[in-house]
Amino acid sequence: MAAHPDAMVAIRNLRLDARTEQGPAHILRGIDLDFARGRIIGVVGESGSGKSTLVSCLLQLLPNNLDRIEGEILFEGTDLLKLPPAEMNDWRGRKIAMIFQDPMTALNPLFTVGTHLRDILRRRFPQLSRQEIRERSLAMLNKVGISDAPTRLDAYPHQLSGGMRQRIVIAMALLVEPDLLLADEPTTALDATVEAQIVELLDRLRQDFSGSIVFISHHLGLVAELCDDLCVMYGGAIVETGPVAEVLARPRHPYTRALLDCEIEDGQEGRLATIPGEVPSATWTMDACIFASRCVHAAEVCRQGPPALLPAGEGRKAACKRSFEVLP
Amino acid sequence: MTADSSAIPPVIALEDVSVVFGGKVRALDGVSLHLHRGEIVGLVGESGSGKSTLCRTLMGLGEPTSGTVTVGGEPLGARLARDRLGFRREVQMLLQDAVASLSPRMRVRKLVEEPLHVHRLPLEDGRARIEVLLKRLGLPANAMEKFPHQLSGGQARRVAILRALVLRSQVIVADEPTAGLDVSVQGELLNLMLDLHAEFTLTYLIVSHNLNVIRRITTRSVVMYLGQVVEEASTAALFRTPAHPYTAALLSTNPVVDPAKRRKRIVLHGEIPSPINLPSGCRFHTRCPRAAARCAQEVPQLRSVGEGQSVRCHFPLTDDMVAA
Amino acid sequence: MTGFIAIRRTFGRIVSTLGGAVGTVIIVVVVGAAILAPLIVTHDPDALDILNRFSGPSAAHWLGTDHLGRDLYSRLVFGAQVAMLVALIAISSALVLGTLLGILAATLSTRWERVILIVFDIISSFPSLVLALAVVAVFGPSTALVTAIVAVTLVPHFGRVARAQMLTLRNAPFMEAERLLGTSATRIVLSHVLPNIAGPLVVLASIDIPVVITIEAGLSFIGLGVRPPLASWGTLIYDGYAYLSDSNIPVIVASAALAVATLGFTLFGEALRDAVDPRLDRGGH
Repeated sequence: MAAHPDAMVAIRNLRLDARTEQGPAHILRGIDLDFARGRIIGVVGESGSGKSTLVSCLLQLLPNNLDRIEGEILFEGTDLLKLPPAEMNDWRGRKIAMIFQDPMTALNPLFTVGTHLRDILRRRFPQLSRQEIRERSLAMLNKVGISDAPTRLDAYPHQLSGGMRQRIVIAMALLVEPDLLLADEPTTALDATVEAQIVELLDRLRQDFSGSIVFISHHLGLVAELCDDLCVMYGGAIVETGPVAEVLARPRHPYTRALLDCEIEDGQEGRLATIPGEVPSATWTMDACIFASRCVHAAEVCRQGPPALLPAGEGRKAACKRSFEVLP
Repeated sequence: MTADSSAIPPVIALEDVSVVFGGKVRALDGVSLHLHRGEIVGLVGESGSGKSTLCRTLMGLGEPTSGTVTVGGEPLGARLARDRLGFRREVQMLLQDAVASLSPRMRVRKLVEEPLHVHRLPLEDGRARIEVLLKRLGLPANAMEKFPHQLSGGQARRVAILRALVLRSQVIVADEPTAGLDVSVQGELLNLMLDLHAEFTLTYLIVSHNLNVIRRITTRSVVMYLGQVVEEASTAALFRTPAHPYTAALLSTNPVVDPAKRRKRIVLHGEIPSPINLPSGCRFHTRCPRAAARCAQEVPQLRSVGEGQSVRCHFPLTDDMVAA
Repeated sequence: MTGFIAIRRTFGRIVSTLGGAVGTVIIVVVVGAAILAPLIVTHDPDALDILNRFSGPSAAHWLGTDHLGRDLYSRLVFGAQVAMLVALIAISSALVLGTLLGILAATLSTRWERVILIVFDIISSFPSLVLALAVVAVFGPSTALVTAIVAVTLVPHFGRVARAQMLTLRNAPFMEAERLLGTSATRIVLSHVLPNIAGPLVVLASIDIPVVITIEAGLSFIGLGVRPPLASWGTLIYDGYAYLSDSNIPVIVASAALAVATLGFTLFGEALRDAVDPRLDRGGH
């Protein structure tokens, strides 16, 4: 598969196995994915899809029951999987930043907001003076919509509301001036009106963000509103990628279609759509289409070897042998 | 469903209930809520809205500071004193974290038989009923031998529902019944809940922040903000023509896949104030895009703005404003 | 019944470590000796044989005899019985009483919680030796008294752990679910609380066994515990100590028994603690 010409990050055939009591589990089953500069890519999938593990791989914070990892994560040509830990650590503070679902995992309860921001700036820009650090911190707090920034610098995490904490975490991530920003369900833990504020904030911040944002979510609606590209994962494999509007308007994979049907939207009546069956066990060796066991369109050809992720229209790819037959 | 029920007393009724913790935290303030037999009522609110306190009060786990809770016309306190187990059989609650709501060191078999022991019901009959319900709820046969942590979120919810149905509960309060469930499973659970509702003439109070769920399965909805009911209406009316600015904002921020169906996003500023230090006048005025001087001074009362729709706002939205 | 597999798995983890395996072997030997004592001794442990004082190990007396010609091996075996019995009774009573008080402290009002915690503090601040001296001074030495004193000093151990466990459990969703089901407080404690707090308490109990064995031996050594002629490892060491110039075998044998048993129970207790540590319980379902 040829690399996207303007891809900043190119993931090639990424496989990750973990040890479990039932034997080796295939958490990622050969991921091929590109992140382009200036775009937000939404990675959606249900539990067991591997979307969070994908983020762990990008950060090189791997699960401790890791058995085997292979493939390449090429970040502007450098393979992250081959970087020594010290160097990777440097990348995490310079090129890659992360926004977690629970802001408290990123905030140390013993340090003030100011300390958190200062530590990041000192590490990223050692030449900055005290005054410059303070100015940049205040500017960033204003930017992420925190009023009364000077007093907030002295606040401890527990003195802030959930929405405020998430803003601080976003501020920390942006101070790094990363090329790649990873956001793992950053609004899931928040209340609806606060979620709306954070979504609006992310929407606004992306305007002057030159890097690439990976937005992990289980919420198709949110991804549809916020992202440019979409990557649908299922059982550790990518089933479909492409520009978000096109993919959601005309899915090229039956799983994407089924997921869309499960979304509860205005004006529907009758029974709710479901996807009967279960995700195949992670220990299953993928010798057929990963979705075949639950797919309403599954045919004999689907059980004879896994489908490749092939081009399916302008900038789109889908891993379905019967795509054009069943999804006209 | 509510049309002819005015003569029959509601199954459960809260009248002007207030709950104040430690003399200063006003968790609930003058809340009235009626549940009629066979109704599915939705309760929407963010953190601090008082919906958990409302559930606890309704379930008899906490006493209201003022106001009354009645069950079938009888005050809840009296009912609990007279017939505690009877009330527990009649009204059950599904907790938000279904897996954690099951005793971790008990197998499912013991968990679903426990209601029989607690309520001294005939074991033989009960076990037969469990077998039937197990199939009805679509739980696999081997589920009985599993521990809670071995169940999926959907299965744990079914076990919790089974525990209620073994007791032949009439009223089920479900706190975030789909929280943490994958969308492909969420529909299955909601379909099942709707089927059971018809089959056993259950009454549901569904507490959720997921507006899609509320919209799809409830017949009437109540929106709470900072311990007060700010709007109550039939679900169809509430979603079509929200009258309270807060409801309108909530609806507008509900992410939607289809661009054609998106509403213009109304982003509220600031955060939900603390229930210790409540705003004067209308509690929502600090964040309300429509707030006027009057809102900061005068507390709005819940008043009717249409058939079955009432709103706590001085300047409620009208139909044409919502459409625009 | 439900815990059977869990117990087997825990035990499997214990014996899979070197310390756990060694500890288990030692415990099997000591406990086996205590239970089978009347069957496996070669002599009446109290039978005097003045002519054969301080005889070295021989076919008749495997470990030799003491200053009154009593068979050391037989006395050692009965000493194990005393040690085990004291440990068993003291720890189980402390476990029951401590757990009860701990659960009460976590569930009753703050005032009662304070009272219980103060009682715990008072007991803990009293060195058990001083307590023993005072009690023995009043009632005179006896095995029952030793057991009681040890039990009382251990109550706060179990009480504090039980309270801490109960505090984390109290707000668990399943406790709320049980209350909503109508389950009575007694049933909640018996069916839902105890199974969930038993693990750490059992570990604590096993770690306390060697402590109790040494306290019993120590008190008996200074003459405040088990009274002669009853054999206890403590009295064995004491007797041997008095006649150290005549023979050092009794002291060596009894001290070795005490040391090995203590080591065995400590190794086992630590292996058990590691085996039930939830942080080691990885790997999903």
